[in-house]
Amino acid sequence: MTRELLTGNAAAAWGARLAEVDYVPAFPITPQTEIIETLATWFGEGTMPGKFVSMDSEHSMLTAAGAAAATGARVFTATSSQGLLYAAELLYTVAGWRVPLVLVNVSRALASPITLEPDHNDVLAARDSGCLQIHAETCQEVLDSILMAYRIAEDPRVLLPVIVNLDGFALSFTREPVTRPSLEQVRAFLPPYSPTHARFTAARPMAQGIAVLGGALYSFFRYQMHLAAQNARAVHGEVAQAFREAFGRRYGLVEGYRLLDADYALVMSNAYATRGKAAINRFRAQGIPVGLLRLRVLRPFPALAIAAALEGKKAVAVIDQNLSVGFGGITVAEVASALYQERDRPPLLSYIGGLGGKDLSDAEFDQILQDLQRNADTGHVPPPRLLYTEREDAQTTAFLEVAGKGTRHVE
Amino acid sequence: MRRIRFHGRGGQGMKTASRIVSTAAFREGYDTQDAPIYGAERRGAPMAAFTRIDHAPILERGMIAAPDLVVVADETLFDDPQAGVLRGLQASGTVLANSAHAPALLRERYGIVPALAVLDFTGLVLSHVGSLAALSVALGAATCRVAGLCTSSVEQAVQEELEALGLSADRIERNLDLARLCYERVDVWLPVQPAAVPAPVAVPRPQVVTLTYQGPWRGTPSVAAPANTPLRKTGNWRVWRPVIDLARCTQCWMCFVSCPDGAIALDDADTPHIDYEVCKGCLVCVEECPTHTIHTLREAEV
Repeated sequence: MTRELLTGNAAAAWGARLAEVDYVPAFPITPQTEIIETLATWFGEGTMPGKFVSMDSEHSMLTAAGAAAATGARVFTATSSQGLLYAAELLYTVAGWRVPLVLVNVSRALASPITLEPDHNDVLAARDSGCLQIHAETCQEVLDSILMAYRIAEDPRVLLPVIVNLDGFALSFTREPVTRPSLEQVRAFLPPYSPTHARFTAARPMAQGIAVLGGALYSFFRYQMHLAAQNARAVHGEVAQAFREAFGRRYGLVEGYRLLDADYALVMSNAYATRGKAAINRFRAQGIPVGLLRLRVLRPFPALAIAAALEGKKAVAVIDQNLSVGFGGITVAEVASALYQERDRPPLLSYIGGLGGKDLSDAEFDQILQDLQRNADTGHVPPPRLLYTEREDAQTTAFLEVAGKGTRHVE
Repeated sequence: MRRIRFHGRGGQGMKTASRIVSTAAFREGYDTQDAPIYGAERRGAPMAAFTRIDHAPILERGMIAAPDLVVVADETLFDDPQAGVLRGLQASGTVLANSAHAPALLRERYGIVPALAVLDFTGLVLSHVGSLAALSVALGAATCRVAGLCTSSVEQAVQEELEALGLSADRIERNLDLARLCYERVDVWLPVQPAAVPAPVAVPRPQVVTLTYQGPWRGTPSVAAPANTPLRKTGNWRVWRPVIDLARCTQCWMCFVSCPDGAIALDDADTPHIDYEVCKGCLVCVEECPTHTIHTLREAEV
């Protein structure tokens, strides 16, 4: 066990190394590249056994990852943003193969306009693919979640790929203290992968990735994926317990922060939840009972855990760091679905914040608190709102001026 | 509503036949629907197409499970359990079959109970148009007659459908002659729906069940059984049978190497033999044989 400063990307690379993966197909993309550079170095110098292959695209990368995993190899790969979308066809395909590979996605907002900083439209585009999703808040959680992900994915009750998500820049290039377990500790926690359903044995050939015609057979196999994902909730609980016993850190499907006795709750995910926790501390110092619910496992969706955590709250604000154009926030709809059947469901306020890595300032958290309190007093639910300050608006106006689109010009 | 199900092999034109019937009915003011279903498209594989005709808007979609009329372009499909030619056919229904054999023989061979009309459409097509693709027009026109549609709308439908396929005016004219001929030849057949419709037999409705998790061995889409392609006999796909005249064969093996299905094997004397259980009748061997030693026989005449 070593305590050291690691970036989120280095923590991801260490996750793959400690899981002793057999195969890493790779393709670079900012802000993920440091992960595969680190792994390439280790494979090159021989500190990591196994095979590292540079592919010609993310599409090929995920094809290779799925095919290798279908022979019984333990596979790691990583991408980001446009790369994840380029591989999207294969996300659905390899999930259907029921191969337990782990894919790290380093969140970066999608084009257009093209940018490099994080939001979650990339990883949420993979939401319905059959890949499970774990979203990390810290560099420590990146490493830990990868180790947990292999044990969950490889469980015969699950056998689905897992995407471990970390935010670009906010985690990927940010160094912070990480406790790195020893290989022996990880070996005790994570047994070797030995599948019975998909492996390469020359003497016993099998056909995988088959085609079916007629909806019944297709329905059967697709729904098996759903049942497997449902199983992953209980498996996650068991794995989290074993992880706590092995390493002392505990992870739930969701994380409550100062939430039990709170009247109001913020719902957030990923690295910006840290900013949310700071806001909670500030409000608590003023005597206002606010807590935070962090969505950690997005698939399987932890509906019961969310309903239990938000039960009895006076009002709840969901900050979506994503935008379903023409609808609004993606997770607010999912949180609403988790609460809908509850008798005493709290009102839900919806915010879009942090798109393209935009910072969330105190002023914006203050606005949310004000809306929550007003809702408790009057029942008023404000329309879904973009978190965007006057200062940022002035900055945008200035940029538009530079771009020759100032108010002086006639349209 | 009239529900018509067409069965054929890929390339025999049953999709077009279903469209001709649908278009003809549409031109007469009916509400109609037509749709084909096939797997990965390939010539020779069993396919089906569907036409619905009604006076009111049609509130059905997809395959026709209980047809009034079944049209069969290739009698060998009666023997193919995958094609399910007679499946769900109403007792009051009708079968319109393309065969060179007599109705009594088909009834005996395939256990056909409902009304049956048989004609050697392939023979008519070969003598009047020359291209087997014209089976679409022949069976489309005949089906229109059985469905009670008038001759002018049949001609209009054939014209429209063949123009859409890009056929020359000359070829369309020959197809129209064929359509008139086939339409005339079926006038003695039973109506689709006789006056007295027997009460439908109550079929027990299946229960909706709850799927449970099956574990990776059963629950993942893989095949663990050894290679099963040899179980699928494709010999009945043939319209034309290639026959090697062994007395003239020079044993050059061109047929052996060019057969796309590996249906030609060499014996101990290096003489090629065709496995007729597998040969689909693509006739590549006939094309490739440099000494023109492989001739063809119409399968119905073998």
